[in-house]
Amino acid sequence: MKRVVPLGKALDEAIFGSKAVGLGQAIRNGLPVPPGVALSGSIVEAVAAGERAAIKEAAKWVGPLGGPLAVRSSAADEDGASASFAGQHLTLLNVPSVEQLSSALSEIWWSANSDSAITYRQKVGLFTRPSVGVVVQALLDPDSAGVMFTRNPVTGADERVIEASWGLGEAVVAGIVIPDHYRIDRSGQVLERKPGYKKIAVRSVANGGTVEEKLSPELVERLCLNDDQLGELNRLAGRCEQIYGSARDVEWAIAGGTLYLLQCRAITKGG
Amino acid sequence: MRGAPIKLLQRVPLFTDLNKRELQQIARLFKARRFAEGQTVVQEGSGGAAFFVIESGEATVVIGGKKRTILKPGDYFGEIALIDEGKRMATITASSELVCYGLTYWDFRPVVQANGVVGWKLLQRMAKMLRESRED
Repeated sequence: MKRVVPLGKALDEAIFGSKAVGLGQAIRNGLPVPPGVALSGSIVEAVAAGERAAIKEAAKWVGPLGGPLAVRSSAADEDGASASFAGQHLTLLNVPSVEQLSSALSEIWWSANSDSAITYRQKVGLFTRPSVGVVVQALLDPDSAGVMFTRNPVTGADERVIEASWGLGEAVVAGIVIPDHYRIDRSGQVLERKPGYKKIAVRSVANGGTVEEKLSPELVERLCLNDDQLGELNRLAGRCEQIYGSARDVEWAIAGGTLYLLQCRAITKGG
Repeated sequence: MRGAPIKLLQRVPLFTDLNKRELQQIARLFKARRFAEGQTVVQEGSGGAAFFVIESGEATVVIGGKKRTILKPGDYFGEIALIDEGKRMATITASSELVCYGLTYWDFRPVVQANGVVGWKLLQRMAKMLRESRED
């Protein structure tokens, strides 16, 4: 059994986790996903245990991606319809190169085996041994990024809800800024566009990790998406629903004028 | 080499009566984990995921807001919440750069179940803690 595969060949959730398989499905359907590889739960655990052969094998696959890297957890039972491990399982957004991969994988393995993750598992009735796969992708340097719900997660209305900010989507996901808020109907008609209050952008830094960069005053309340980009996001929402089904929670980024899909999962109870 | 160094585990009272082959089997299951100075290693009241042996550095043990002891290389902690699947009984904080080897619940339990001597050592430690708690 292969322990590492190109992301587009990740087929089995029990081996590579739901995030990897979801992105693999997106690639196979022609959606714009940054290049990457999927590491199985077994190789991640072996790397965390310091097994040299596993470290070498992971590095061989990840090396061609260059750097910096986005290293994201992809647990087998992560982000199911009834449980979301967001905030429990780690994502490391700017691992500078393959040399730092082992410690990144070890950190992610431990995040799935941390006290807080185990407490959450007990709470949602998933007190089983975690198997945490990992998705490694080339890190984007986005102009803007955020989340999109293909159906309104609050009202249930059949419309897209988009939250966006400058730089990496971490600013939106982690609630660091008040993001721009958009609602679009299925035809692409913009129903609402409300500027946020975006004093900072999360950016990657050369030696690894991210920083919160203070934005110039004119960007704080300026909308970061134009109508063309909203149209593209609406089309992406439609494609995601065709492939995965309705009511999806999508993470996206726009870098160098290209829209990328970073993650697509079912909207959970917590939204 | 995979897992914890045998020499470290030989210093841990829990494992002193195991032979080298048994130690090697257990050592393979451990994984290294680093904590920065000031980082909380385990939090009182939280669920417990792993049992740890300290390789280097020190950690402070606080129970109910009261500082109890300092843990040093060769000391171990975190086993109680794994035994009864209950809450952590202490907050343990790295008081320097701390390197531990951890064994998760899913590996710890079979080790104890398969090794009577490890189980007996744990019982002795529990009995000692019970006596100490009555003397407080």
